Amino acid sequence: MALRELGSIFGLASRSGTRPVVRCANLPIRRYASTDATQDLEPASSFSAPPPSEDIVKSYDPVAQSRRRGRRLPPSRYQFRPPKYYRGPLHPHQPPPPSDPSSRVFQPGPFSLPRLEQTYQSTIQPDLMTLAYTHFPPGYTAPPKGARLRSWEGASPYFKNRPLRGPRGSDVLRLLRQPTTFRNVPKLTGVTVHSMVKEANEDPAVLDVAKMVVQAITNARTKVHKARMSVIQWGHREGRVVSVTADLTGEDMYHFLGKTIDVVLPRIKDWKGVKGSSGDSSGNLTFGLSAENVASFPEIEVNYDMYPPKMIPGCHVTVHTSATNDRDARLLLSSIGIPFYGKLVD
Amino acid sequence: MRTSAIIPAFRPTFRCLSRRTTPLLSPARPIHPRSSQTALFSTTAPLLKRSKKGEQKKDIRITAIQYHLRHPLNPRPLRLSRLRALRHWTIHRAWQLHKAASRRAHELELERQYNSMRDACEALRLIGDDGMPASAGTPGGTMGKELGRLYRVAMEKKGVWAGVPIEYARMQVDYPSREGWNHGWTR
Repeated sequence: MALRELGSIFGLASRSGTRPVVRCANLPIRRYASTDATQDLEPASSFSAPPPSEDIVKSYDPVAQSRRRGRRLPPSRYQFRPPKYYRGPLHPHQPPPPSDPSSRVFQPGPFSLPRLEQTYQSTIQPDLMTLAYTHFPPGYTAPPKGARLRSWEGASPYFKNRPLRGPRGSDVLRLLRQPTTFRNVPKLTGVTVHSMVKEANEDPAVLDVAKMVVQAITNARTKVHKARMSVIQWGHREGRVVSVTADLTGEDMYHFLGKTIDVVLPRIKDWKGVKGSSGDSSGNLTFGLSAENVASFPEIEVNYDMYPPKMIPGCHVTVHTSATNDRDARLLLSSIGIPFYGKLVD
Repeated sequence: MRTSAIIPAFRPTFRCLSRRTTPLLSPARPIHPRSSQTALFSTTAPLLKRSKKGEQKKDIRITAIQYHLRHPLNPRPLRLSRLRALRHWTIHRAWQLHKAASRRAHELELERQYNSMRDACEALRLIGDDGMPASAGTPGGTMGKELGRLYRVAMEKKGVWAGVPIEYARMQVDYPSREGWNHGWTR
């Protein structure tokens, strides 16, 4: 509908403006072929071949042939339509695998081999394995550890059949750390770029700009999030859209981290690094980028005027690693090139 | 979204059909986006739409961004013919096999490194007091201060978790060259 409107409007504009019709009429007819095409044609044609012999003509009966075949030939066109919704594993109509181009979730690629990925594979991964190596003599078995969840001790009759008590110190059952071997060297699993825009409470257009900025720097489609609760100090109201995130894995993740580490972070003035207390104690570290830092991403920088002034947002970058504690994750990130400062908290 | 609002922003990208069919012989008149409603070559103040009190004019860049966000160029699922699908399948299988083979080679290489590291540490652990390998199974020699010193030093994890120096994370690139620096260069 919109395009149809556009066309009619532009048609009107061109008619009132220049005179393309007259110009068209004045133009000479041009050929773009460089040679005379008839010279390239082969003189021999199938018409000069002898016709099929008498017995071939006699025996040719396509109707009988198809009757004799008994089964239908597959159609020449690819006629399968993938179902729009996945209806479960028991439904007869199953979608094709994601590697199939007819699948709705098919993604072509990868189109490049990121430098960071190559560096990790060739250098960082063996080095991390060597750094974290602990030697166990042959025949060593780890001493058995006590139960992580404690039982309720006491005379109270209500302790009977009560769910087990949480670990000492916190209610959270931490992830276990296995000794690092060649199988579980920590690696990058994903990056989440999150940008909360406070001004979006007043004007949702600001969030659209933030969306475009995040999409531009991450090369991934963003998701919009609503405020879960009202916070008066921040001007949040429940149900209003306030933030955008982009989840990156694989090629996009490596490209984004490479850009951040090699281009953006070195250009931050007086940047000490990522705070040592960052992390969720299960191997995911977060650091923040201010609006000026986001503006120094090469994708934003080359096209800075595309974004309205003062609407480029800052963002939080969460790096997910396969490490199960912050110490290992920090070692991985510092070997990639993200410095840490302050007290290192595990 | 009303179309008329966004037209000035996309004027350069769209061209009417008649213009597109004309060959590029004549230099086409550059199409300027109409930045405002003012008439050209006029000193008279233009009559603009009266704005309500407190109403701000929306930045045209926001309009452009919203337009592009809401008109995603999502291609429909590809439909390949039989031969093309077969070709795609073949290439895809070959690529998957290549990826699996290279991943397997990488894993084996890591395992080899790990095993040799383990063997070296085991040899260090079993080294005797005199610096010669002790008999297999038990650390040999007399019990002295030097016994197993190298092993203990090798097992130290002091300063390992503080992180690596920042120079380590230098991006691996194809340069500098093997010569490094051309000292003889003059302008």
